[in-house]
Amino acid sequence: MSKLYTFLKYFFITFWTVFVVAPFLWAVSTSFKDFQSVNSKVTYIPWLDFEPTLEGWRVLIKSPAKGGVDIVEPYFNSIFVTCTASLISIVLGTLAAYALSRFTFKAGFVRNNDITFFFISQRIMPPIVLSIPFFIFLSTIGLLDSLLGLVVVYIVLLMPIAVWIMVDFFNRVPKELDETALIDGCNPYQAFYKVVLPNSIPGLIVAGMFCIIFGWIDFFFAFILTFTEVQLLPVKVVALNSSITPWWSLSASALVSVAPLIIVAFIVERYLSKGNLSGALK
Amino acid sequence: MEEQMAKIDLSNISHTYNPLDPKPTYALNPFSMTWENGKRYAILGPSGCGKTTMLNIVSGLVRPSKGEILFDEIPVTDLKTEDRNIAQVFQFPVIYNTMTVYDNLAFPLRCREFTKEKIEERVKSVSDTLNLSSFLNSPARKLTADQKQLISLGRGLVREDVAAVLMDEPLTVIDPDLKFRLRRNLKEINEQYKTTLVYVTHDQNEAMTFAENIIVMDQGEIVQVGLPKDLFEKPKTTFVGYFIGSPAMNIFHSTVSSDHEVKINDTTIKTNSNLGNLKDKNVKLGIRSEFIELAEKEKSNTVKIKLTRVEDFGNFKLLTGKMGDLVIKSKVEREKPIPDGELNLYFPPEKCCVYSDEKLV
Repeated sequence: MSKLYTFLKYFFITFWTVFVVAPFLWAVSTSFKDFQSVNSKVTYIPWLDFEPTLEGWRVLIKSPAKGGVDIVEPYFNSIFVTCTASLISIVLGTLAAYALSRFTFKAGFVRNNDITFFFISQRIMPPIVLSIPFFIFLSTIGLLDSLLGLVVVYIVLLMPIAVWIMVDFFNRVPKELDETALIDGCNPYQAFYKVVLPNSIPGLIVAGMFCIIFGWIDFFFAFILTFTEVQLLPVKVVALNSSITPWWSLSASALVSVAPLIIVAFIVERYLSKGNLSGALK
Repeated sequence: MEEQMAKIDLSNISHTYNPLDPKPTYALNPFSMTWENGKRYAILGPSGCGKTTMLNIVSGLVRPSKGEILFDEIPVTDLKTEDRNIAQVFQFPVIYNTMTVYDNLAFPLRCREFTKEKIEERVKSVSDTLNLSSFLNSPARKLTADQKQLISLGRGLVREDVAAVLMDEPLTVIDPDLKFRLRRNLKEINEQYKTTLVYVTHDQNEAMTFAENIIVMDQGEIVQVGLPKDLFEKPKTTFVGYFIGSPAMNIFHSTVSSDHEVKINDTTIKTNSNLGNLKDKNVKLGIRSEFIELAEKEKSNTVKIKLTRVEDFGNFKLLTGKMGDLVIKSKVEREKPIPDGELNLYFPPEKCCVYSDEKLV
């Protein structure tokens, strides 16, 4: 029985690993192929099956004038927009979450939970519903097709995530911690940044991870709110496609797009696996 | 350091957590009390009786709905917690996870901008008292639960200038052996530094051994304030009788038959209470099982019981007997021979307490 169990366990783990890793391997190998080796017959092994070439990668950094598709600028645009929006969302979101977790608000029938839900509800709407208002809003203030405009929109999209994660996190930090800090002589602001915040680093990192992921992978708003001046990476990658699908450069660009997220995942994994997400102080 | 400890006056304090309700329920009913400088107090009562609310009001975490708090005659009701000079230790260890043990202990002093030398001296002295010296440089989160609680305690004791140290069941998570030693340490600290200590607990033994004055609370009401001896021998209400002592006080329904006598099921018991104006009223007679004596034969103030159980606790025997449908418990010395079946128990009149409307006559 236990042998069967072990067998099944390893079988499914192997199966799942192949399922997850195979597309990456496929993309890696395809990115080094040329038109011939993709289209003529199925090939697997470099140098034996096909002659590897860097052409797929070179296209990505060549300027369009020389027949390339320059993704360097969109790449840095994406990094700038994602990081700025995530940082601002985390700062504002954390402050809002702390207030929602520790103080009682009342406005008519609105209470803390309603305010928290209001934040989260921004993510419940299908994005398409928001596209027209955002478009009109950005064009009114003249930020359409600009990095700043995208940052503003992304803050709206990312802050609910930050608030949601941090409210939950702060709720699990016992209020006695703040009270102890007050008794020890901090004022409420000091209690927050000297005591509560250092204890919340795991929560901040997780919230940051989600903001970065959701900011980085957004295609929809990047597509609708930009035209020629500014382009973000996801839009540019999709634009690579043409009548003859350039599988090699598509694979290469997919790999460079995923790379930052893999790095983020490795950094965050330390905090996730330590189990100190719990935030309990007992 | 100048002595800054204070006399704490609670004047007409009451508190409700739902003040907007048309019929608010009070967590604390109006009361007044004075905590003298340098004394040890224990607040004793079952869970939910308002003990913690009382502490939070003194430390400023909760603002009382009504009434005033004075430290040395100066009103502090509107003063914020951080300006009040109170130390409070909670039931569960609260430590600053990201700091070392040293930084944890130094934190209250750093917040108040003491000099480096002063901080070092105080932290050293407190960590010696609490046996934390060898951990000073380790991260606080790596310690065990009881060591963490020692840190919380240490942060309360590290400031010399506090008006009082309030402790909310601080030894719950600490093992019995260390508990005993710590309680003695706290007593020594109190005697040495004359720090006012207020200790909340639901454990009567803890309260009895620790405090000079015990405040017994029930349902938001202060039922009795007094020395351990008073609480034991003359409980002011039947609640105190039930709550203090193990086993609880024997309490019987009875009727007043004359100026000093009550009747339980036809047996007349003489007491030292003056019952002149309660004639024929229904009252309750209370007597500690410790004070009930075995009598060889029937005489005045004895009751005849049928023995139902004898429990040997090692240092004493607990007899449980029945008189009609009344259950009587009596503690007797272990060596005493216990006759089988029926026996006579003597109620010393000076130890009998009579309660009318649950209050001592």
